[in-house]
Amino acid sequence: MSDSTTITIEIDGKSIQVKPGTMLMDIADDNDIFIPRFCYHKKLSVAANCRMCLVEVEKAPKPLPACATPVADGMKVFTKSPLAIAAQKATMEFLLINHPLDCPICDQGGECELQDVAMGYGGDVSQYDEGKRVVNDKDIGPLIETEMTRCIHCTRCVRFGIEIAGLQELGATGRGENMRIGTYIESALESEMSGNVIDLCPVGALTAKPSRYTARAWELTHHDSIAPHDCVGSNIHVHTFRGLANRVVPKNNESINECWLSDRDRFSYQGLLSNHRLRDPMIKVDGEWQETDWNTALEKVRDTIADTKENSGSDQMGFLVSPSATLEEMLLLKKLANGLDVSNIDHRLRQVDFSHQNQQPKFMSLGLPIEALDTIDAMLLVGSNPGKEQPIIAHRLRKAAKNGAEISLINHRDYSLSMPLHCQLTESYTGLVSLLAEVAQSLPGFNATSLPQEAKALFDKAEPGEDSRRIADSLNNKKISAVVIGNQAINSPCYSLIEVFARALAEQTDSTFGYLTEGANSTGACFAGIAPNRKLGGEIEDRSANTTTMLSEPRNLYILHNVEPEYDFADPVVAVETMIKSDCVVCLTPFISDDMKIYADILLPIAPFVETSGSYINIQGKIQSFKGNTPVENTQARPAWKIMRVLGNLLHIDGFEQLSSADVLQEFESELSAIKADNQANITEVCVLDSVDSKLLRSSQVNMYRVDNITRRATALQKTPAGQEDAVHINSNTAAKYNLNNASRVRVKQNSTAVGMPLKIDNSVADNSVWIAAATNVTKKLGPMFGVIELEVD
Amino acid sequence: MANLRDGLEKKTLTTLVSSKAIGRIDKWIDKYPLEQKKSAVMAALRIAQEENQGYLTTELMNAVAQYLGMPNIAVYEVATFYSMYEHKPIGKYQICVCNSISCMLNESEELFHYLQERLGVKPGEVTQDGRFSIKEVECLGACTGAPMVMIGKEYYENLTHEKMDKILESLN
Amino acid sequence: MRAFAQIIKSLFLIELLKGLSLTARYFFAKKITIQYPEEKTPMSPRFRGIHALRRYKNGEERCIACKLCEAVCPALAITIDSEQREDGTRRTTRYDIDLFKCIYCGFCEEACPVDSIVETRFFEYHFENRGEQIMTKKMLLELGDQHEKQIAADRKADAPYR
Repeated sequence: MSDSTTITIEIDGKSIQVKPGTMLMDIADDNDIFIPRFCYHKKLSVAANCRMCLVEVEKAPKPLPACATPVADGMKVFTKSPLAIAAQKATMEFLLINHPLDCPICDQGGECELQDVAMGYGGDVSQYDEGKRVVNDKDIGPLIETEMTRCIHCTRCVRFGIEIAGLQELGATGRGENMRIGTYIESALESEMSGNVIDLCPVGALTAKPSRYTARAWELTHHDSIAPHDCVGSNIHVHTFRGLANRVVPKNNESINECWLSDRDRFSYQGLLSNHRLRDPMIKVDGEWQETDWNTALEKVRDTIADTKENSGSDQMGFLVSPSATLEEMLLLKKLANGLDVSNIDHRLRQVDFSHQNQQPKFMSLGLPIEALDTIDAMLLVGSNPGKEQPIIAHRLRKAAKNGAEISLINHRDYSLSMPLHCQLTESYTGLVSLLAEVAQSLPGFNATSLPQEAKALFDKAEPGEDSRRIADSLNNKKISAVVIGNQAINSPCYSLIEVFARALAEQTDSTFGYLTEGANSTGACFAGIAPNRKLGGEIEDRSANTTTMLSEPRNLYILHNVEPEYDFADPVVAVETMIKSDCVVCLTPFISDDMKIYADILLPIAPFVETSGSYINIQGKIQSFKGNTPVENTQARPAWKIMRVLGNLLHIDGFEQLSSADVLQEFESELSAIKADNQANITEVCVLDSVDSKLLRSSQVNMYRVDNITRRATALQKTPAGQEDAVHINSNTAAKYNLNNASRVRVKQNSTAVGMPLKIDNSVADNSVWIAAATNVTKKLGPMFGVIELEVD
Repeated sequence: MANLRDGLEKKTLTTLVSSKAIGRIDKWIDKYPLEQKKSAVMAALRIAQEENQGYLTTELMNAVAQYLGMPNIAVYEVATFYSMYEHKPIGKYQICVCNSISCMLNESEELFHYLQERLGVKPGEVTQDGRFSIKEVECLGACTGAPMVMIGKEYYENLTHEKMDKILESLN
Repeated sequence: MRAFAQIIKSLFLIELLKGLSLTARYFFAKKITIQYPEEKTPMSPRFRGIHALRRYKNGEERCIACKLCEAVCPALAITIDSEQREDGTRRTTRYDIDLFKCIYCGFCEEACPVDSIVETRFFEYHFENRGEQIMTKKMLLELGDQHEKQIAADRKADAPYR
């Protein structure tokens, strides 16, 4: 055990071998010796300002803070000696001087570190009888409630902002008695991970606003689950109060989300409590909606399916599936489709370029474990804004960037990722491909012979600038590098070209190639074959059908699983029109909306996340299962896999005898364990770039708090500045070119649609490019996410 | 909620202070390594304050933050920590009365009260003619001359009521 | 000798007379029987009868929805729902006590940090229909309002021992 690099110390008489330079606190924690603490947190820098962790060290004249004392050979530490106890007791008394005695109304009461430590280490009487300090609160947004009188100035939240979120928004202003933790001016926190300060706060100064005053810690029941809003698959604890989700907190998983959670995953549970929940199966009879029972509804679905198959053929049926549906649901849906001989099934709802779909890899993955992002040396991210799309990925990259990794971005807009960036290039969505060609061009010895014709032409035309050269160098010279294409690249009309270049760059610089996909289970969807060209198990076959063809030629019957066409498609207007034109639309959905009442014909209430069991395969190819919790009261909602199972039975299709969601997976156990995240593919078919020269082009990103039907109904998230994002962003050059410099509102025209929107001059947007968030209440009336657009003063 | 950050029109430091002041700030920035630009924050705030009748506004602090590439809150932290930065309008003459041990033993408290009565203002207020404001400060290092006050950059020592009156009259 | 004494005792009905004398003594003694319900026994200020929720003098309800009474209740008789009231304070939207479950142990009163839930001297009540045994927040507050004077006096009397 002992070698030259370890030294021996003694804590409370216990002899321990340790690495020199480690802090006492870490060693004590590793050896189950508890030392009280407030400001210390294992993921944050050492501040040593609460003084709660004072311990006695032999030969030291005064007690020392364990969190900031590095070990030395032969050190003898006493955590429970009279001196240590006296020091801790005195510190506790000091901390309690200004702390209000409002535990009964404090949301932290019952899970408060100050309460616990005061019980264990504090005295029973305070010698302080002067007036207590009172702090006025500032509103810091709809997610976090402040009660700064309770603050004990541990500065964990401040350090979190600087070190983890990369966005310092909270700070300690004033000095001495007048020191306050806050934002100084009233402003909402903008970090997409801000909710973590709620967990970090050892007292009740920062608490969750949406669940304020609703339940006490001891009344909550814990359930483990997996966050369903991004491809990371953060591990979470859902806390329910009398069967209803009351809050969500992170579950430690060092290889995925560590101890952090994005605000979207933390506060989306509010959507589950929405009063738009669909409670009973409903059918439209002569244009009137009627509530009905499950038997009637399912028989109606069966009859419609059988009827369509008989009279119009299987090709007249289409299955559109949310990329956040569980793996079990997807597997059963695919089985159902196979049984009905239906090939029209897809989860790539916002994708528009399918040119290379038959050459894509079996599974789309990041290509490397999420954990490995910490230690990456160089990365090129194309068409991705992980800060808003996969906040945990952004956090990992931020860590890497802090350690000197060179993170470069090629995007439609200059996204600030709150981290030091190596290089950031912006262009409209067609220009983006040219930028990639430029990077390829500046790579010494780049072999362009394997590129398809269109890509080759772009490559030959490219005239690399200084920045492209820097990106190429960083990929080429750094040891561990990766090229990753994100949601916006995948949804871009130039997806195939972007992928060809990204792959070529990765290949020729010895970098890993990877994707960051939409939804929680895109990788699972590949496995389940939720695409016309994929078989059950993920195998690719040659087929040209896809979401676009499914929508462009309206089918007689659509089955929408957890999908809202007005938000979830690249072109919401076309999607809704198609649904209206179709004879019958069956929606499996947890929610009902006014739009849905217009295009749908049968509504089947399904149990959303938290209420159903299932599994997701995250972007690193890890399968994570979760259990369901009791459904909301007064609802007939059923787990979707059960509905599909019954439908399978009703339609007399084989393979629908499962008794639990685990049974569904069991069948595929061997295939699932063989999932390899290698992304190998050779792409030769690419799209042809339309000539859009000198036209204004729209690019967009799905509003981060409107990615799926649950987040869209999470009221607090909708109230945040990010949730209210609904402006047209153009840079000042473009504004000048189109005489829009003084306009505050513009009329946006796209295809046959037009809406009025506020205009924001925003120099982060590329020239000749218009950036408009997708999936908002305004943009659902607008054309595709990427395309030609016109602006005029409103 | 109304987000003040959006509401405040972002003005750059160059539009808020004179070019001479920018020059002085740049000189301070030059004293530090390029990536340590923020080390110049105290000097920058002091110069910005001088340019704005002796006090800082949120707008000014934001502009300094932007100029030095720091988060706004980091500038607020510095500006609120040190007592030499003012956040409210002050008088033409700010009288800083030392309250630390030597001056206290020599009745600076009494002097402070006298000033308040004489000028009819409380700490943090400005006289109606806009000329005087008073402030209690920690030791200014002139203990030999206790009790003492600092007005502008001048020290006035061994003060009595009469001496104080004379000083006030001389500040016209 | 013993047999002789026994004979004398039985002959002169001594035992009977002894018994009768006791009867006579109590017949004329001061009566301690209470004619309930016309008459009542004296009660301790600590008597644990039906519950009530108190208000402050300005009419504001005392209860702050801390749920300590709910947590401490050994019979799980109390159910509380809470929310943030419009003025930002923590308040109950529901405060139910199931009197069938309640064992009148008084823990709720002891747990209450604001002397809101109390057990009053009032113990004479009955229910005629199923469901009536649930005391709602409204009923509890009304009880508190009715008996506030007595409740306050009782708390005051007991204060030195708390």
